[in-house]
Amino acid sequence: MPAGIDVDALVRLLLSRTGEGDSQLARTLGIDRAGAASDLPRLVAQSARPQRLAAIAASDRAVAPLEAAARRSGWRVIGASPQTADPLAMTTMLLDPTVEAVLLGAGEPPGPDERRALDDVASLVAAVAARRPELSVILAGSMAEELSRFEATEGDRQGEVMLAPAATSGDPPGAALRELLDDLRAPRDDARRAIARAAAGLADAIDRRVEIVDIGLDGGLRATAAPSVAGSPGRVTASFIADAGLVPPDPDDAAVDRVLAWSTVPIDRHRLRDRLRELRFAPWSDAAGEGARLRLAAARAALAVLMEATPDQTAEPAPDLIVATGGAWAVAPGPAIALAIADVVRRPAAVSVAYDHARLLAPLGSIPDASERRQLIADIADDLLAPLASVVIPGGIRPGRSAGHVTVRVAAGSSQLELIPGGLELVDLPPGERGTAELQFRDTVRLGGRGRRFAVEVAGGLGGLLLDLRDVPLRLPDRPERRRELLEAWQDSLWVTRDR
Amino acid sequence: MTEPGIEYVLRRPVVEGPIEVRFPLRPGDRAFVAAGDVLVPGSRIADRLRDTRLVEVRSGPVGAEARPGDRWTQPSHATGVQLRRGRGESSGELLFELGGHWRMAAGEHPEQIDTPIAGVVHQVRPGIGIGVRAEGRILRGVEAIGEPTRGLLAINPEPGEGSKSGARLRPGSLDVGLAGAILVVGSRVDAETLTRARAMGLRGIIVAGLAGKDRRDFLASEARQRASLHRLPTFAVFVLDGAVRRKIASPVAAVLAALAGREVALVLDPPALVFNEPEIDLPPPPRDLVRVRAGERIGREGRWAGLTGLRRFADGTFLEAGWVAFEGWPPVPVPLADLERFG
Repeated sequence: MPAGIDVDALVRLLLSRTGEGDSQLARTLGIDRAGAASDLPRLVAQSARPQRLAAIAASDRAVAPLEAAARRSGWRVIGASPQTADPLAMTTMLLDPTVEAVLLGAGEPPGPDERRALDDVASLVAAVAARRPELSVILAGSMAEELSRFEATEGDRQGEVMLAPAATSGDPPGAALRELLDDLRAPRDDARRAIARAAAGLADAIDRRVEIVDIGLDGGLRATAAPSVAGSPGRVTASFIADAGLVPPDPDDAAVDRVLAWSTVPIDRHRLRDRLRELRFAPWSDAAGEGARLRLAAARAALAVLMEATPDQTAEPAPDLIVATGGAWAVAPGPAIALAIADVVRRPAAVSVAYDHARLLAPLGSIPDASERRQLIADIADDLLAPLASVVIPGGIRPGRSAGHVTVRVAAGSSQLELIPGGLELVDLPPGERGTAELQFRDTVRLGGRGRRFAVEVAGGLGGLLLDLRDVPLRLPDRPERRRELLEAWQDSLWVTRDR
Repeated sequence: MTEPGIEYVLRRPVVEGPIEVRFPLRPGDRAFVAAGDVLVPGSRIADRLRDTRLVEVRSGPVGAEARPGDRWTQPSHATGVQLRRGRGESSGELLFELGGHWRMAAGEHPEQIDTPIAGVVHQVRPGIGIGVRAEGRILRGVEAIGEPTRGLLAINPEPGEGSKSGARLRPGSLDVGLAGAILVVGSRVDAETLTRARAMGLRGIIVAGLAGKDRRDFLASEARQRASLHRLPTFAVFVLDGAVRRKIASPVAAVLAALAGREVALVLDPPALVFNEPEIDLPPPPRDLVRVRAGERIGREGRWAGLTGLRRFADGTFLEAGWVAFEGWPPVPVPLADLERFG
């Protein structure tokens, strides 16, 4: 349903359907009486609206890490330095009312390329801050020494003036600045920040490494979490990338090309741009037929941007479970989501893919008390996620007629399959079923470690077990028709409900 | 009596109350109004500089009380020695002070900015914008490009393809007889027609959908026009729905028809048509009227006939849907997310 629908009306509909589906349960829960909707406690998680930040430094070299830190914390970023923009252009940029924060930074200590222009940029930004009291100002690194210029304008300021660590400080470099920028961008109950907290709770609850990929209209979140071990707390890394949204506000050629590369719909660039702009105007609409396929192409493109923007998270050990969440996947068939994840998140590993079908991760993550949050997630872990598929992606497979074979053993018996390089094999494994896949390769491959024989635990899902022997990373033909045919063939194998 | 469940269809207001309209300013532009000023359509509110450049001025003559954003004019008795760089501009907007010198945005060839709406100035922020509380009512769109403008509203005289609100205007349909008009063209318009409309002296075009290619061509054409030395009359394109072709919604078309022959304004921020005609009574659209906003039946209108619940649609996608009775046909299920209602 569109986001603008009255929440109370939605709750009433949900309760009435619960009553129709299981009247006894409704009675037990006390939701079968009139007015029950207003009495129910509510957890609200809402995505903060996207904001623009201008990153300013005395040299292009110094701007780059500021921009990188801001991009990783969910801001839409524009950057400038006196090397590429004159003071008039920089002032015009900062006076633009759509810019809501300015990050003014310098190295600690400033580099030789910065020293000459430090005064210039500090004066320029201080003058703009005096004219725009609503603008938040973050002084990073040695720019903190310029605080006195901004304190003079403190009187009627609504925006904050904050001191921040240098863009390269912290472990990993930039982490400290990113944390501060994330705090500034959104309140604590922001849906994306809540999902990152829920990732930690989920990792602990199922005692597995978890990766959550959330693709929404205004950005994408990648949260990786490892469970607590022997009393030491678990580890969570979260990056929110505004450029990894389903559709950018004004899709440029690069954005259109990214979607076109994944599209199975024969469509030219102009028409695709129009469809994407329509999707931006009404992101909940046109979700069936061709619209559904275009939406999944846009979701894949956004996911690819998210992966490219977070190489340090890709370098972490592969997760045991990948969870897809966010509006981009909201109406797609489950197996098609699993394939989209396998197309883009390509690491030589065996992973389970699940879907946050009820969009509960954000509300659960918004529970303020960490232990209460973990307990609730543990209580409903079995129902929280819809299992989509187990995906096995071996890396380093050589071309040839056969790469080896796999034997899948489940309670009911076993089956054997030939492993064809470049192919996508599907083994029917319904949700709830567990088993073992024994893979025997002719040559050494990578699957977690290097070897020729592997035995991996697999769990069933809506898409079953997916043996993905395609290239890592995925290579697609340059010719659009050939690429479309190939993508379509792969989708056909998993999107079984598609009309043909 | 409307079938239940229509509250799950997104409501689109047709006509709304007064709004605050923003006219953007850039550094160097000069505002001629102050907060509280009452404006009538056509009032000059600012001058926009065409070729703003940076000028350095010694701090001494500017004075210690000067603040960023203030205007400074070289005293008439002073010589030009205060100006260190630039081509001798003697007034401008102070940007920032550094090393005993102010940097100032100044330039030649100012262009007059007139307000197309009546209202009260709410806020003037040099280099940022002028906020005006507009009088009257508005019809909101998804986008407006060009410049704020005003003119007599005219409905496309040529039926063209489809029905009157689904017509596509051809360049040949435009002539100088429409000069000064804001023309409602129907479902779609191309860049050639927009260029000709501007050349024929039209003040604006109202259209349901503007394709990305035509939008880009028009914006490029506008940029070239503005780069020429002489000032051009204002012109705007007001897009009601989006980027693909569809008919103008009948409740919106009814408002436009009621305003035909009257003066209206097009503003860009927010994108809206502003009119101040209190005597025009605009009856609310039927409560059960719904329109398909996206998908295969885009632009079609029908009557709401109740919720269907979750339904299977093309390619096996399951969506919440409602029954919609299109004229002359039994009700069919349409995804709720593809529908809009009016009110």
